Amino acid sequence: MHDMTVVELSRLQFALTALYHFLFVPLTLGMSFMLAAMETVYVITGRDIYKHIVQFWSKLFLINFALGVATGLTMEFEFGTNWSFYSSFVGDIFGAPLAIEGLMAFFLESTFVGLMVFGWDRLRPGQHLAVTYLVALGSNLSALWILIANSFMQMPEGAHFNPATMRMELTSLSELIFSHDAQAKFVHTSIAGYVTAAVFVAGVSAWYLLKNRHVELARRSFRMAVLFGVLATAGVITLGDALGFVGAQAQPTKLAAMEGLWKTEPAPMPFNLIAFPSQTYQTNYGAIQVPYALSLLVTHSFTGSVPGINQLEAEANLRIRDGIPAVAALKTLSTDPDDAGAQAIFHAHEKNLGYGFLVQRYAPDISLVTDAQIDAAAHDAIPQVAPVFWSFRLMVAFGLAMLAYFVLAVIYTMRNIVERKRWFLLVALWMIPVPFLACEMGWLVAELGRQPWTVFGVLPTWMSASTHSVGYMVFSLIGFVTLYTAFIIVEMYLMVRTIRRGPDDIHGAPASHTSQAERLAGYAEG
Amino acid sequence: MDTYATLQCIWWLLLGVLLIALAVMVGMDMGVGTILRYVGRSDVERRVALNIIGPHWDGNQVWFVLGGGAVFAAFPLIYATAFSGFYVVMLLLLWSMIMRPLGFEYRSKLPSQSWRNTWDWALFISGLVPMVVFGAAFGNLFQGVPFYFEWNVTSHYTGSFLALLNPFAILCGVLSLSLSVLMGSVTVMNGAEDVIYERARGLARTAAIVAMVLFAIGGVWVHGMPGYRIARAPGAGVAQTPLQQSVTHADGAWLANFNAHPLLWALPLLGFAGMLLCLLAANARRSHLAWWLGALAWLGVIATAGASLFPFLLPSSSTPDQSLTIWNSSSSQLTLAWMLGFALVFVPLIIWYTSWAFYVMRGKVSAERIANDEHAY
Amino acid sequence: MKTFLLFLLFMFIAALVIVMAVILGDTGAWYFAWLVGTAMIVLVAAAGGVMLDAQDERRAQAAKEPVSHA
Repeated sequence: MHDMTVVELSRLQFALTALYHFLFVPLTLGMSFMLAAMETVYVITGRDIYKHIVQFWSKLFLINFALGVATGLTMEFEFGTNWSFYSSFVGDIFGAPLAIEGLMAFFLESTFVGLMVFGWDRLRPGQHLAVTYLVALGSNLSALWILIANSFMQMPEGAHFNPATMRMELTSLSELIFSHDAQAKFVHTSIAGYVTAAVFVAGVSAWYLLKNRHVELARRSFRMAVLFGVLATAGVITLGDALGFVGAQAQPTKLAAMEGLWKTEPAPMPFNLIAFPSQTYQTNYGAIQVPYALSLLVTHSFTGSVPGINQLEAEANLRIRDGIPAVAALKTLSTDPDDAGAQAIFHAHEKNLGYGFLVQRYAPDISLVTDAQIDAAAHDAIPQVAPVFWSFRLMVAFGLAMLAYFVLAVIYTMRNIVERKRWFLLVALWMIPVPFLACEMGWLVAELGRQPWTVFGVLPTWMSASTHSVGYMVFSLIGFVTLYTAFIIVEMYLMVRTIRRGPDDIHGAPASHTSQAERLAGYAEG
Repeated sequence: MDTYATLQCIWWLLLGVLLIALAVMVGMDMGVGTILRYVGRSDVERRVALNIIGPHWDGNQVWFVLGGGAVFAAFPLIYATAFSGFYVVMLLLLWSMIMRPLGFEYRSKLPSQSWRNTWDWALFISGLVPMVVFGAAFGNLFQGVPFYFEWNVTSHYTGSFLALLNPFAILCGVLSLSLSVLMGSVTVMNGAEDVIYERARGLARTAAIVAMVLFAIGGVWVHGMPGYRIARAPGAGVAQTPLQQSVTHADGAWLANFNAHPLLWALPLLGFAGMLLCLLAANARRSHLAWWLGALAWLGVIATAGASLFPFLLPSSSTPDQSLTIWNSSSSQLTLAWMLGFALVFVPLIIWYTSWAFYVMRGKVSAERIANDEHAY
Repeated sequence: MKTFLLFLLFMFIAALVIVMAVILGDTGAWYFAWLVGTAMIVLVAAAGGVMLDAQDERRAQAAKEPVSHA
């Protein structure tokens, strides 16, 4: 039996380490392709400044990359160390994409990143460009397989439960790979990385323009970053909607929490722009609503409706009652796999096995389950609304803000007047944290919204954790917090130092070729 | 033999191949980390040693990640039970390993000597600790680990952290460390010159001798150790949980496979031959040959352990009946088949482009080149 | 003012594009879209850099021969 304190501490540790890891991943995903774009210009035009640009940004890329790799190791370990039941229960499905990630993507990325750093003098420009593209492809393919694995947790497809082995087993790899959730989630996450990198590069470039340093490098980087960013942001928003549309069908509880939808309402449903949800009273305070908008957003029609929390909790109650015989039959099958009666009962109730597990938290001996315990478990089937509701709104607000920022940035840079808009350069600098926060919010929506499940409808979170002692968990939490705090301080210091010193430090000669007079002539024209 | 049992055996062999690749490729980089402060007495000398593996450590490390991923995908119950059971040890392994990427990438970013010294020690720890843990984990497989399963196959580890650091496990840990130091030294010889080369050469000789002695002692130890034997089980290629078998202790059981198939004695011999010939080659300054012979030594050692344990993967010392074997901890037939397909396509591809990367970066690393190269570690 | 109008225009275009994409692609072939989209984003960014160099050159020419520019 599980100690619930250990489960909560395991969740906390996973959330902290995953959110931390996800500070570095998006920048890697986007910056690798942005380096490829910059190097493409170098190879096509042969202008040295673009080589300097690539080499400068790749310095920052690598400082970030090292910590991404390091903290990625933690994630690889943590399923086994802290979520051992999860690992054995769905490892047959979940392990495969992780292993394929190593085979197809991580090797590609890691082998060629070495050549990207050390190969400048040993490879022809075209070869080095190919290496840079392979690093970008590798890191994004890596994200692809991780997100295929994650999408199984969100929308378990291509798998079934096998009582003979007491676990979920793969039935179709292609269903797993091409699940709608996986498709939308990968593209949403990958290009959220592009947005992150674009804001980062544009922000650092804006700082140089403000300080009037490395102007030629900064102008070019800014132009390329904001063009990269404006398209990527439009894509992220599109895919965010697609993901919401898929998710609405796959996980109605997450959708209800995202929208603060306590009661089922007839179509057309209004959208809660702002509200303060109360889990205790199952209602929203201070709601500002936009009529019709929710139906339009989540069902793409005026007549669509989605179930509210009251209805979902009632449905969960029925499903738990239906799942209880499945758990009882499974226990019989664990000692006598050939018991025909138990097999028949199991298959009749198999669909709701996960819901049966949900109530086992309160009734370890499922044959003694009470109505009160079933009610409590049904109540658990709804995630905490307020954090999901607000993470979602912040993410969307950040996304829209970045779209507006990039559109304006494109106008300024295409007219070559951005250097004169000092207020805007300051905005660009202060935008840097925004995409990182938006990415973190996205993770929170996806993972908090899926609770109380690790695999939606199949495996409850409380069962998934390893059976450690509280002491072990406190030990590991202290260790992670200490190490990770030290790492982020070192990383930020090196980042800021490298940015402050700028590219001149690296290449001796200043990267500026255009004279001040020529640039002023340009201003006059713009 | 039916398809499922065949796939289970193939994946057991593939896991062995991956562990050998991990030991060779990650082991040599970790060996360089361990001996960094010995072969490099000045900052420049240490940078030479680091830059020999600089272009490759990241790619090599993926063998470790892939090893973990392959256990997860092919033997999920092993991944779940071992990683959670060895919790504290796994954390020490992890925490030391995550310092490594930062050590490489951040060390030479600042000129301060104390900064660089700190990262040198971090690289030392992240070279030494994981290799000791890697060997000690194998040592514990021979003795069994205290764990049991609930009816729904929830695993519980009932031992203490210190129990994992018993004498035999430490012996295996030091054996693993000495092989990693051997490979690290030979790798430094491949890329360095003069005084660094000579220090590495001396160290390679010592490490090879230590490894041979420890491997011999380990063999004698296992000979007298009680092993495990399956008394009754659903057998190979049958969908099952670990709750349906009975397993007994038996003296000398770990040599049963060798006695049944005397040809298997070639494996430990291969290990000894690899170490001895590696020693001779390093002594004769044939460092590239020595590298391959060192890899052969790893192959011999790991294959010996695998052949001895077969078909056990993780025996339970407290509930022997619930010991994990290839047959009761593997993935389903479909998953094993798909994974085999991916491995057949991508492993050759990986070997091909990794070789190309080594080819591009071939040659000696000199102090002058590092001084002139702004990308160097 | 001109900038503001341009901003509104482009924001409108962006919104239109997003709505179109949403309507067309409820559960679209997103993997394929990613391939095409990434290639496009990289190329547009690269083109932006090339264009900036072209603008600079034109301006440098104009600075040398102010008459021909007018």
